[in-house]
Amino acid sequence: MASVLFDRPPRAATPTTMKMVVAGGFAVGKTTFIGSISEIEPLRTEAEMTVESVGIDHPGPVAGAKHGTTVAMDFGRITIDRDMVLYLFGTPGQDRFWFLWDELVRGAVGAVVLVDTRRLPDCFAAVDYFEHLGVPFVVAVNLFDGVATHHPRQVREALSVPANVPVVLCDARRHTHVQETLVLLVEAALRRLSGAA
Amino acid sequence: MSGAGPTPRLPRVVRPYVLTGGRTKPAGPVLALESTVHATSSPPIHTVPATPENTRILELSVDPVSIAELAGRLTLPVGVVRVLVDDLTTVGAVTVAEPIPAAATDVGLLERLLDGIRAL
Repeated sequence: MASVLFDRPPRAATPTTMKMVVAGGFAVGKTTFIGSISEIEPLRTEAEMTVESVGIDHPGPVAGAKHGTTVAMDFGRITIDRDMVLYLFGTPGQDRFWFLWDELVRGAVGAVVLVDTRRLPDCFAAVDYFEHLGVPFVVAVNLFDGVATHHPRQVREALSVPANVPVVLCDARRHTHVQETLVLLVEAALRRLSGAA
Repeated sequence: MSGAGPTPRLPRVVRPYVLTGGRTKPAGPVLALESTVHATSSPPIHTVPATPENTRILELSVDPVSIAELAGRLTLPVGVVRVLVDDLTTVGAVTVAEPIPAAATDVGLLERLLDGIRAL
Protein backbone atom coordinates (compact mmCIF):
# COMPACT_ATOMS: atom_id res chain seq x y z
CA MET A 1 0.00 0.00 0.00
CA ALA A 2 1.18 3.50 -0.70
CA SER A 3 2.33 5.50 2.25
CA VAL A 4 2.60 9.13 3.15
CA LEU A 5 5.92 10.53 4.21
CA PHE A 6 6.49 14.00 5.49
CA ASP A 7 9.70 15.92 5.75
CA ARG A 8 9.31 18.32 8.61
CA PRO A 9 11.16 20.98 10.47
CA PRO A 10 12.00 20.31 14.13
CA ARG A 11 8.92 19.96 16.27
CA ALA A 12 7.55 22.63 18.49
CA ALA A 13 7.02 21.69 22.11
CA THR A 14 3.66 20.22 22.97
CA PRO A 15 1.70 22.86 24.88
CA THR A 16 -0.10 22.45 28.16
CA THR A 17 -3.82 22.36 27.48
CA MET A 18 -6.40 24.01 29.69
CA LYS A 19 -10.11 23.70 29.23
CA MET A 20 -13.28 25.58 30.08
CA VAL A 21 -16.87 24.63 29.49
CA VAL A 22 -19.56 26.98 28.21
CA ALA A 23 -22.99 25.75 29.23
CA GLY A 24 -26.56 26.99 29.06
CA GLY A 25 -29.79 26.34 27.28
CA PHE A 26 -30.38 25.88 23.61
CA ALA A 27 -29.60 28.95 21.48
CA VAL A 28 -28.45 30.99 24.46
CA GLY A 29 -25.37 32.18 22.61
CA LYS A 30 -22.70 29.63 23.53
CA THR A 31 -21.17 29.50 20.08
CA THR A 32 -21.29 33.28 19.79
CA PHE A 33 -19.54 33.54 23.17
CA ILE A 34 -16.83 31.11 22.08
CA GLY A 35 -16.45 32.80 18.70
CA SER A 36 -15.92 36.21 20.28
CA ILE A 37 -12.63 35.15 21.80
CA SER A 38 -11.49 32.06 19.90
CA GLU A 39 -8.61 32.46 17.46
CA ILE A 40 -10.27 29.96 15.16
CA GLU A 41 -13.80 29.98 13.85
CA PRO A 42 -15.68 27.76 16.29
CA LEU A 43 -15.49 24.21 15.07
CA ARG A 44 -18.26 21.71 15.37
CA THR A 45 -17.32 18.32 16.66
CA GLU A 46 -19.56 15.32 16.70
CA ALA A 47 -19.26 12.88 19.52
CA GLU A 48 -21.10 9.61 19.50
CA MET A 49 -22.69 8.18 22.53
CA THR A 50 -22.02 4.53 23.00
CA VAL A 51 -23.70 2.04 25.24
CA GLU A 52 -20.78 2.26 27.65
CA SER A 53 -21.06 6.01 28.04
CA VAL A 54 -24.56 5.91 29.46
CA GLY A 55 -24.19 5.98 33.23
CA ILE A 56 -26.52 3.91 35.33
CA ASP A 57 -27.59 7.08 37.08
CA HIS A 58 -28.61 8.70 33.85
CA PRO A 59 -31.52 10.96 34.69
CA GLY A 60 -33.92 9.96 31.98
CA PRO A 61 -34.78 7.80 29.05
CA VAL A 62 -32.68 8.39 25.99
CA ALA A 63 -34.28 7.30 22.79
CA GLY A 64 -31.97 5.32 20.60
CA ALA A 65 -29.08 5.41 23.04
CA LYS A 66 -28.11 1.83 22.45
CA HIS A 67 -27.73 2.42 18.77
CA GLY A 68 -25.54 5.42 19.20
CA THR A 69 -26.69 9.01 19.30
CA THR A 70 -24.58 11.73 17.81
CA VAL A 71 -24.34 14.99 19.66
CA ALA A 72 -22.69 18.09 18.32
CA MET A 73 -20.72 20.59 20.32
CA ASP A 74 -18.81 23.65 19.26
CA PHE A 75 -15.43 24.61 20.55
CA GLY A 76 -12.77 27.24 20.17
CA ARG A 77 -9.06 27.60 20.83
CA ILE A 78 -7.06 30.38 22.43
CA THR A 79 -3.27 30.44 22.54
CA ILE A 80 -2.44 31.74 26.01
CA ASP A 81 1.33 31.79 25.65
CA ARG A 82 4.00 29.83 23.87
CA ASP A 83 3.35 26.75 25.95
CA MET A 84 -0.29 26.95 26.88
CA VAL A 85 -3.50 26.57 24.92
CA LEU A 86 -7.01 27.08 26.25
CA TYR A 87 -9.97 25.23 24.76
CA LEU A 88 -13.54 26.38 25.19
CA PHE A 89 -16.14 23.67 24.77
CA GLY A 90 -19.81 24.45 24.38
CA THR A 91 -22.05 21.83 25.93
CA PRO A 92 -24.64 20.24 23.71
CA GLY A 93 -27.83 22.18 24.35
CA GLN A 94 -29.98 19.32 25.50
CA ASP A 95 -30.07 18.25 29.11
CA ARG A 96 -30.25 14.61 28.19
CA PHE A 97 -26.62 14.58 27.16
CA TRP A 98 -25.27 14.73 30.69
CA PHE A 99 -22.93 11.85 30.03
CA LEU A 100 -21.01 14.03 27.63
CA TRP A 101 -20.80 16.81 30.14
CA ASP A 102 -18.93 14.51 32.50
CA GLU A 103 -16.24 14.06 29.91
CA LEU A 104 -16.18 17.75 29.05
CA VAL A 105 -15.99 18.83 32.65
CA ARG A 106 -13.29 16.40 33.72
CA GLY A 107 -10.13 18.42 34.19
CA ALA A 108 -11.81 21.72 33.31
CA VAL A 109 -10.80 24.94 35.04
CA GLY A 110 -14.48 25.68 35.37
CA ALA A 111 -17.59 26.63 33.52
CA VAL A 112 -19.46 29.64 32.23
CA VAL A 113 -23.22 29.25 32.49
CA LEU A 114 -24.79 31.52 29.91
CA VAL A 115 -28.22 32.75 30.82
CA ASP A 116 -31.06 34.21 28.79
CA THR A 117 -33.29 36.02 31.27
CA ARG A 118 -36.28 35.45 29.02
CA ARG A 119 -35.77 31.73 29.52
CA LEU A 120 -34.16 31.55 32.91
CA PRO A 121 -35.23 27.97 33.70
CA ASP A 122 -33.13 26.76 30.76
CA CYS A 123 -30.00 27.24 32.84
CA PHE A 124 -31.21 25.57 36.04
CA ALA A 125 -29.88 22.19 35.01
CA ALA A 126 -26.41 23.57 34.29
CA VAL A 127 -26.26 25.49 37.57
CA ASP A 128 -27.31 22.39 39.50
CA TYR A 129 -24.81 20.28 37.69
CA PHE A 130 -21.76 22.45 38.36
CA GLU A 131 -22.81 23.18 41.92
CA HIS A 132 -23.25 19.49 42.60
CA LEU A 133 -19.84 18.65 41.15
CA GLY A 134 -18.13 21.51 42.97
CA VAL A 135 -16.81 22.89 39.69
CA PRO A 136 -16.02 26.63 39.77
CA PHE A 137 -18.47 28.50 37.59
CA VAL A 138 -19.60 31.95 36.59
CA VAL A 139 -23.13 32.92 35.63
CA ALA A 140 -23.04 35.22 32.61
CA VAL A 141 -26.30 36.91 31.68
CA ASN A 142 -26.21 37.30 27.93
CA LEU A 143 -27.24 40.78 26.86
CA PHE A 144 -29.30 40.09 23.81
CA ASP A 145 -29.51 43.31 21.79
CA GLY A 146 -26.90 44.67 24.17
CA VAL A 147 -29.57 45.66 26.67
CA ALA A 148 -29.72 44.66 30.31
CA THR A 149 -33.24 43.72 31.28
CA HIS A 150 -32.33 42.40 34.70
CA HIS A 151 -29.85 43.39 37.34
CA PRO A 152 -27.30 40.68 38.14
CA ARG A 153 -28.58 40.73 41.72
CA GLN A 154 -32.05 39.72 40.52
CA VAL A 155 -30.58 36.85 38.54
CA ARG A 156 -28.49 35.78 41.53
CA GLU A 157 -31.60 35.71 43.70
CA ALA A 158 -33.63 33.87 41.09
CA LEU A 159 -30.94 31.23 40.72
CA SER A 160 -29.99 31.30 44.41
CA VAL A 161 -26.36 30.75 43.60
CA PRO A 162 -23.89 31.11 46.46
CA ALA A 163 -21.96 34.33 47.01
CA ASN A 164 -18.73 32.81 45.70
CA VAL A 165 -20.26 32.40 42.24
CA PRO A 166 -19.87 35.58 40.18
CA VAL A 167 -22.95 36.76 38.28
CA VAL A 168 -22.17 39.17 35.47
CA LEU A 169 -23.80 40.82 32.51
CA CYS A 170 -22.09 39.81 29.30
CA ASP A 171 -22.72 40.63 25.68
CA ALA A 172 -21.56 37.37 24.12
CA ARG A 173 -20.72 39.21 20.90
CA ARG A 174 -18.16 41.43 22.59
CA HIS A 175 -14.60 40.27 23.02
CA THR A 176 -13.98 42.39 26.12
CA HIS A 177 -17.10 41.07 27.86
CA VAL A 178 -16.19 37.49 27.13
CA GLN A 179 -12.61 38.11 28.18
CA GLU A 180 -13.73 39.63 31.49
CA THR A 181 -16.05 36.68 32.11
CA LEU A 182 -13.18 34.23 31.63
CA VAL A 183 -11.00 36.31 33.95
CA LEU A 184 -13.70 36.09 36.63
CA LEU A 185 -13.87 32.35 36.16
CA VAL A 186 -10.14 31.81 36.62
CA GLU A 187 -10.17 34.13 39.63
CA ALA A 188 -13.04 32.09 41.09
CA ALA A 189 -11.05 28.90 40.52
CA LEU A 190 -8.02 30.43 42.24
CA ARG A 191 -10.09 31.64 45.19
CA ARG A 192 -11.46 28.18 45.63
CA LEU A 193 -7.95 26.72 45.71
CA SER A 194 -6.77 29.24 48.25
CA GLY A 195 -9.74 28.35 50.42
CA ALA A 196 -11.04 31.90 50.29
CA ALA A 197 -14.29 30.84 48.70
CA MET B 1 -21.36 35.33 14.09
CA SER B 2 -24.45 33.19 14.03
CA GLY B 3 -24.90 30.18 16.24
CA ALA B 4 -25.53 27.98 13.26
CA GLY B 5 -23.09 25.35 12.08
CA PRO B 6 -19.74 27.07 11.88
CA THR B 7 -17.97 24.44 9.84
CA PRO B 8 -18.80 24.01 6.21
CA ARG B 9 -19.33 20.34 5.63
CA LEU B 10 -18.07 18.28 2.79
CA PRO B 11 -20.42 15.57 1.65
CA ARG B 12 -19.46 12.35 3.32
CA VAL B 13 -19.31 9.51 0.86
CA VAL B 14 -18.69 6.67 3.27
CA ARG B 15 -20.12 5.98 6.65
CA PRO B 16 -17.58 7.23 9.18
CA TYR B 17 -16.79 3.93 10.86
CA VAL B 18 -15.98 2.33 7.54
CA LEU B 19 -12.78 4.36 7.84
CA THR B 20 -11.85 2.40 10.94
CA GLY B 21 -12.80 -0.99 9.60
CA GLY B 22 -15.82 -0.91 11.86
CA ARG B 23 -13.82 -0.34 15.03
CA THR B 24 -15.50 2.09 17.37
CA LYS B 25 -12.90 2.06 20.11
CA PRO B 26 -9.14 2.48 19.98
CA ALA B 27 -6.89 -0.30 21.23
CA GLY B 28 -5.21 2.21 23.52
CA PRO B 29 -6.78 4.53 26.08
CA VAL B 30 -9.73 6.70 25.04
CA LEU B 31 -8.19 10.09 24.50
CA ALA B 32 -9.61 13.25 26.01
CA LEU B 33 -11.03 15.77 23.57
CA GLU B 34 -8.27 18.19 24.39
CA SER B 35 -5.47 15.64 24.10
CA THR B 36 -2.76 16.97 21.85
CA VAL B 37 -1.74 15.09 18.72
CA HIS B 38 1.64 15.86 17.26
CA ALA B 39 3.23 14.36 14.16
CA THR B 40 6.62 12.88 14.90
CA SER B 41 9.66 14.63 13.54
CA SER B 42 11.76 13.60 10.59
CA PRO B 43 13.15 11.32 9.41
CA PRO B 44 9.91 9.43 8.97
CA ILE B 45 10.46 5.73 9.28
CA HIS B 46 6.92 4.63 9.57
CA THR B 47 4.55 3.35 6.97
CA VAL B 48 1.11 4.78 7.09
CA PRO B 49 -1.78 3.81 4.84
CA ALA B 50 -2.19 6.80 2.55
CA THR B 51 -5.85 7.38 3.16
CA PRO B 52 -7.10 10.94 2.79
CA GLU B 53 -7.92 10.94 6.50
CA ASN B 54 -4.43 9.87 7.59
CA THR B 55 -2.86 12.35 5.23
CA ARG B 56 -5.00 15.12 6.64
CA ILE B 57 -4.32 14.16 10.26
CA LEU B 58 -0.58 14.17 9.60
CA GLU B 59 -0.79 17.55 7.88
CA LEU B 60 -2.87 19.07 10.66
CA SER B 61 -0.67 17.70 13.42
CA VAL B 62 2.61 19.12 12.13
CA ASP B 63 1.87 21.65 14.84
CA PRO B 64 0.25 20.23 17.96
CA VAL B 65 -3.50 19.92 17.53
CA SER B 66 -6.29 18.61 19.74
CA ILE B 67 -8.42 15.55 19.10
CA ALA B 68 -11.48 17.80 19.05
CA GLU B 69 -9.96 20.05 16.44
CA LEU B 70 -8.97 17.13 14.24
CA ALA B 71 -12.52 15.84 14.41
CA GLY B 72 -13.89 19.27 13.58
CA ARG B 73 -11.55 19.82 10.66
CA LEU B 74 -12.03 16.35 9.22
CA THR B 75 -15.77 16.58 9.90
CA LEU B 76 -15.59 13.14 11.43
CA PRO B 77 -17.02 11.97 14.74
CA VAL B 78 -14.60 12.11 17.64
CA GLY B 79 -14.82 8.35 18.01
CA VAL B 80 -13.49 7.77 14.51
CA VAL B 81 -10.65 10.22 14.99
CA ARG B 82 -9.67 8.52 18.23
CA VAL B 83 -9.30 5.20 16.43
CA LEU B 84 -7.35 6.69 13.52
CA VAL B 85 -5.02 8.58 15.87
CA ASP B 86 -4.50 5.46 17.94
CA ASP B 87 -3.42 3.62 14.78
CA LEU B 88 -1.05 6.44 13.85
CA THR B 89 0.38 6.36 17.37
CA THR B 90 0.98 2.63 17.11
CA VAL B 91 3.12 3.03 13.99
CA GLY B 92 4.93 6.00 15.47
CA ALA B 93 3.58 8.58 13.06
CA VAL B 94 2.23 10.78 15.83
CA THR B 95 2.58 11.14 19.55
CA VAL B 96 -0.26 12.06 21.83
CA ALA B 97 -0.01 14.12 25.00
CA GLU B 98 -2.89 13.72 27.41
CA PRO B 99 -3.85 16.81 29.42
CA ILE B 100 -2.17 17.21 32.79
CA PRO B 101 -4.74 15.70 35.17
CA ALA B 102 -4.32 18.33 37.86
CA ALA B 103 -3.85 21.33 35.57
CA ALA B 104 -7.14 22.86 36.67
CA THR B 105 -6.03 22.90 40.29
CA ASP B 106 -2.45 24.02 39.72
CA VAL B 107 -2.09 27.57 41.03
CA GLY B 108 0.91 28.31 38.85
CA LEU B 109 -0.85 27.20 35.68
CA LEU B 110 -4.03 29.07 36.60
CA GLU B 111 -2.09 32.27 37.20
CA ARG B 112 -0.42 31.90 33.83
CA LEU B 113 -3.84 31.32 32.29
CA LEU B 114 -5.18 34.43 34.02
CA ASP B 115 -2.31 36.58 32.77
CA GLY B 116 -2.77 35.21 29.28
CA ILE B 117 -6.49 35.92 29.16
CA ARG B 118 -5.98 39.44 30.47
CA ALA B 119 -3.46 40.04 27.70
CA LEU B 120 -5.75 38.90 24.90
